[in-house]
Amino acid sequence: MQKTNPLPALGGSAVVCLLIAAPFGLPVFAMTLLTELIILGLFAMSLDLMVGYANLVSFGHAAAYGLGAYASGYMLLNSSMPLPVVVLLAALLTGIVAIGVGWVCTLATGVSFSMLTLAFAQLLYAIAFKWTSVTGGSDGLAGIPRRAGPFSMTIFTSKTGFYYFALACLIGAYFVCRALVRSPFGFVLRGIRENEAKTLVLGYNTRLYKIAVIAIAYALGGLAGALYAPFAGFANTELLFWLLSGQALIMVIVGGQGTLIGPILGAAFFMLLEHQLSSYTEAWALFFGLIFIAFVLFAPEGIWGLAWRAFARGRAPAETRHG
Amino acid sequence: MAEALLRVDGLTKRFGALVAVDNVSMHVQKGEVRAVIGPNGAGKTTLFHLITGVVPPTSGTVRFGGSEITRLAPHAICQRGLSRTFQLTSLFPRMSARENAMLAAQARHPRRWMPFGGADVFTSARATGEGALEQLGLSHVADRPAGLLSHGDQRLLEIAMAMAQRPQLLLLDEPTQGLSVEETAQAVETLAQFLDKARITVLLVEHDMEVVFRLAHRITVLHRGAVIADDVPAAVKANPRVQEAYLGGIE
Repeated sequence: MQKTNPLPALGGSAVVCLLIAAPFGLPVFAMTLLTELIILGLFAMSLDLMVGYANLVSFGHAAAYGLGAYASGYMLLNSSMPLPVVVLLAALLTGIVAIGVGWVCTLATGVSFSMLTLAFAQLLYAIAFKWTSVTGGSDGLAGIPRRAGPFSMTIFTSKTGFYYFALACLIGAYFVCRALVRSPFGFVLRGIRENEAKTLVLGYNTRLYKIAVIAIAYALGGLAGALYAPFAGFANTELLFWLLSGQALIMVIVGGQGTLIGPILGAAFFMLLEHQLSSYTEAWALFFGLIFIAFVLFAPEGIWGLAWRAFARGRAPAETRHG
Repeated sequence: MAEALLRVDGLTKRFGALVAVDNVSMHVQKGEVRAVIGPNGAGKTTLFHLITGVVPPTSGTVRFGGSEITRLAPHAICQRGLSRTFQLTSLFPRMSARENAMLAAQARHPRRWMPFGGADVFTSARATGEGALEQLGLSHVADRPAGLLSHGDQRLLEIAMAMAQRPQLLLLDEPTQGLSVEETAQAVETLAQFLDKARITVLLVEHDMEVVFRLAHRITVLHRGAVIADDVPAAVKANPRVQEAYLGGIE
């Protein structure tokens, strides 16, 4: 519906090229960090689909991450399926479970909706603790292999290969999300975000749309978790803990909700800051909290919004000259 | 004569001891502009809520286009071709007027839920939406965010959104509510011209008598939830019961 501006596509391609070239220039520890960042960015982006596009503020998105991680960990430990198949199956499973979650949570709206998502995540957390035979209880699942499978698809399982696989998942998920928010379905989500009552009386079954977007967001969050298990080699209850849900929300808000790219930057910002601050002080979370408050108060549009505003300011005079 | 487009029979709604709508029956013929009037608290808006499924009735039936719609969900009733506006303006304030109309039009498209692509869905919604904006004289503000339109234009935009759904029956809940005297006169003029051209069946709830007599072909008068008159405007004006219950009470 908008005029195409070639700059975002060019900039995006440049960033993707850099990410593809990264393994050739970066040391091993930096590649580990970058892989984790990609996984976390995917997780934050999946939450943005709910928060930023449908105003469904989930306090329990860790449920998706943890479920994906446990599912992929369990399958890698107990079956001979190759890694890419396992990861995609785990994401699919998370999405299917989310249909039920969405069905229950959308009985409520606003804060009650958020509380129900949190309750569901805490339920999974408790199950992960108790169901020791499957989840390993408080120890979690350890020694999760990156299994190449019967066709020995080792291109996915080496450190660099896994990085490329995660990158492909992030880029693929981004294009899925982008197509979704620009589609007729996405237009209805915008309506729900601005005025759900009106969207309903226009004749849209808003609850079905919300359940659908929750299922998609959980599936992509589950994809991130399913990548994390073989990346870290373990899956434990921390991946289902409410702290992670809160951190994901912070990433979305600091990065810029409703932008898809912003939350990925938010995840990067969060990770790098945690990395840097924690080497100076134990109380890094305190400083991060202050930064978060500053964003909410002074830049509610987030990092991505600030970047766009700076970009537009630099560009506006040029456009008037030519216009 | 064929069955009326809208048939309301013995419709009753009780809220505890209060009978908000009391055994109301009325038939609206195709092409008719019907007004429902009555003093405050006469049950006009509740009647609207009952017809559109927002509130379930205690008893009675609503038939639309030959089939029963009593107790269907609001969105299902809407999909049958019955679109309404609200007493309090309800829009998508940050979308442009055009996008508001497009989203309304898209709700009637069989592939309104397409999760990817959908350029053809947008094209057809845009054509229908812009047509509806033009009908209500809003083409010149199509690009403006709905939240920044004047109050009168916002009311007209709501009607345009309802029209973008190509309804068989348009329900207007106090279309001039909250407008100043000048704004009302202007909005009524636009509405009258639009109704003349569109030839659409309308059920209108209205407070302002001048608006009603200017627009309606036939008037149903409610008093304390019950119908006390159902006639052409001139006859309603002359009806002593109506004058006692309503007209006399105001001026």
